[in-house]
Amino acid sequence: MSFLIVDSTTWTITILGWIIVFAALLFLVGIFLLVPKIIQGSIKRSLKEKGKTNITDDQLEISGETNAVIASALYMYLNENHDDESNVITIKQVRRRYSPWSSKLYGMNNMGFPK
Amino acid sequence: MRKLVTFCFVVAILFCFQVAFGTDLNAAVNSAAADGGVLKGLASLWEFTGFANVHYTHVIMIAVGLFFIFLAIKYDYEPLLLIPIGTGIILGNIPFLAGYKIGLYEEGSVLNYLYFGVKQGIYPPLIFLGIGAMTDFSSLISNPKLMILGAAAQVGIFGTFLGASALGFLPNEAGAIAIIGGADGPTAIFLSSKLAPDLMGAIAIAAYSYMALVPVIQPPIMRLLVPKKERAIKMKPPRAVSTTEKILFPLIGLLLTTFIAPSALPLLGMLFFGNLLKESGVTERLADTARNSLINIVTILLGITVGASTQADVFLTMDSIKIFGLGALSFVIATAGGLLFARLLNLMLKKDNKINPLIGAAGVSAVPDSARVVQQEGLKTDPNNHLLMHAMAPNVSGVIGSAVAAGIMLSFLM
Repeated sequence: MSFLIVDSTTWTITILGWIIVFAALLFLVGIFLLVPKIIQGSIKRSLKEKGKTNITDDQLEISGETNAVIASALYMYLNENHDDESNVITIKQVRRRYSPWSSKLYGMNNMGFPK
Repeated sequence: MRKLVTFCFVVAILFCFQVAFGTDLNAAVNSAAADGGVLKGLASLWEFTGFANVHYTHVIMIAVGLFFIFLAIKYDYEPLLLIPIGTGIILGNIPFLAGYKIGLYEEGSVLNYLYFGVKQGIYPPLIFLGIGAMTDFSSLISNPKLMILGAAAQVGIFGTFLGASALGFLPNEAGAIAIIGGADGPTAIFLSSKLAPDLMGAIAIAAYSYMALVPVIQPPIMRLLVPKKERAIKMKPPRAVSTTEKILFPLIGLLLTTFIAPSALPLLGMLFFGNLLKESGVTERLADTARNSLINIVTILLGITVGASTQADVFLTMDSIKIFGLGALSFVIATAGGLLFARLLNLMLKKDNKINPLIGAAGVSAVPDSARVVQQEGLKTDPNNHLLMHAMAPNVSGVIGSAVAAGIMLSFLM
């Protein structure tokens, strides 16, 4: 059966397909709205077992802004932390003992020198 | 003296050959000249060259390849994709004499072996593995309702399916063309390799071209459909996401989406597997390989072979032109769908929890380009409004949504 240029099967695939995509992602949304609550519940329970009874949701949830501040503070600390130097500059004089291996007198380059 | 020795040596070798194989070289050369053999040889050489086999369609396609490379280098439009694809288009359209295992479609040629990964849908899941290993889903986990925008933007896929069917394409071809609206190259290649292998070159090129052109296509639609006041909405910063949630996301996502659309198992399985490698925290080496070396190698192979699959004789057809038209339409529909749904969603949200409708445009997938476009458009309206992190949520959910849609299309049309 044709309806608005295309046949009914095409319409079925179109509408049903989109609904299934929506349903799949809605299901994921539902689960991920639930997961943090379950995690918070288990944290609260474990804290209660340790004797900390008056815990509010705000104390468990760290906002993105707080996280950003902590992250930037750590970044600055780790990157701008500079070694303390003694400010004493030492120039070490290089001295080599005489050796015929590096001697100019016995070098090959001396062959053409006028005597 | 040395020249004389060399000459004698060469003469001695020639003499040895003559004795060993019983061939009189001089006689052979003389007889060839007498029969016009030299001319014949030159004529045969000429037949082998590209100049003898060139057709104007080859020149057009080579120009297209060069244009892709130009776009990538000059305007920085998806260079990691357009340079391999552009080079592939040039490679695939160098004219040659058929039958010598040179071309991509000739059994036994090197390009044909590399093309096997595209034809059998091997490369796209490997790309998804890398994408999974480099994607941070935390913006999505922190605000799960933004995931719906990724689903809304998939209207582009289903709208194009209607359009392609109306233009007379067979249902399987229409399904393969429709996936261009998913704005996801690997998914488009995966689905078209299964549903319409003959159209794969055109579909892949259209998908990647429009993905590269996201910064050109989306902004006018954004400005048209979202009033300035709504473009300036500032969203709440996302909450911090715990490691447990990050580990649970790929596991739950994998189970749920693959149970709904098992046909998309190679794509979704690899995507969530890659993400689990990243988030588990104990497989950093594997995650590192997946998001760097592996995805780079596969991108090179995929790009070059998809480009080479556009041989003029199979690519320059009326169908390809229709596919390009439908591709553009699907991007427009998908962007508009995401934006309008975001505005609709705002009607149901509390005043202090509104979302900026611009992020709906990122639901088309095209990671991360469309999110970047949202950020730029947001900054144009208000220089202090940074929407990138918020836009990444519908952006990655668009990837999941388009893979699910591909699986549904496969289930209906295979």
